[in-house]
Amino acid sequence: MTSTTSAKRIDDNNKNDRTNRAGIRGWLNPIIYGWERVSYWFQRLTGIFLLVYFIGHVYETSSLVSGPDAWAAMLEMTQTVGGHLFLILVIGASTFHTINGIRLIFTQAGQGLGKPGRPDYPYDPTSVNNKQRSGLWIAFILAAVAMLYGANVLFSGE
Amino acid sequence: MTSSDSKNNINKNRQTTRWFSNITILRESQITKIHYITGVSALFVVAIHILMRLIMPFNMSLEFENVILNYKNIFYALLLESILVLIAIHGFNGLRVILLEIRQTLIWEKAVNILVIVAMIGIIAYGTRTIIIANGFSVG
Repeated sequence: MTSTTSAKRIDDNNKNDRTNRAGIRGWLNPIIYGWERVSYWFQRLTGIFLLVYFIGHVYETSSLVSGPDAWAAMLEMTQTVGGHLFLILVIGASTFHTINGIRLIFTQAGQGLGKPGRPDYPYDPTSVNNKQRSGLWIAFILAAVAMLYGANVLFSGE
Repeated sequence: MTSSDSKNNINKNRQTTRWFSNITILRESQITKIHYITGVSALFVVAIHILMRLIMPFNMSLEFENVILNYKNIFYALLLESILVLIAIHGFNGLRVILLEIRQTLIWEKAVNILVIVAMIGIIAYGTRTIIIANGFSVG
């Protein structure tokens, strides 16, 4: 048996053995992959959520062209506790998506990644550093602050 | 691999490249730049859009007469149109990126591209219709 055939057989065996496959739970688990993975899927989840909201918002505002009654009926649906909570989620998602998106633009431009160095034990990548993590935490904190401000405006009506 | 095999592969790659180049309008790097530019631009125009709701009590700002008055202002109507276009491009391109991360086959890529372009044009057309009708072609 040649080494190529043997390697192919091992590869085939690995393909069939999926007992250690973590699946979607592994994808969502921040303990295994760290906060950078949380940032990755939060950016995507908030993006999809905001796109759905955007489509809904365009549809909602189109009731304007049907006159004051249609507009009032549409507003009535959103001026509820559930509607306000949904809007607060939109505010949080848009703030996080914006701040984290700006962080990602800087990261893609090579800013805040650290200098490449010799791979020494414990092999921590220089790109996963406090600058990156603090950017992520700022995104979470500002999202929480924006949600609190939004809640104050929506529930007080001011 | 024999030399004829490698020649076939090279020819195949050339054909693929030529075929792709025939339909490629924008490179992926250019699309990424557009994604960033639309995202940052949307930040500013959406900020103005939200501020317009906060310069008076929130409930009052959503009254029909007040909203129609906003739409009749040509500058605000243009702002709304720019928000519509920027977010539609940014949002649907983001969705395209997510969908292309899930699967990478030629037919999937083509289907996703067509789907997001059609959806993008659809939402821009629908939103523009609202802006035009609510504005009433007024420039006051």
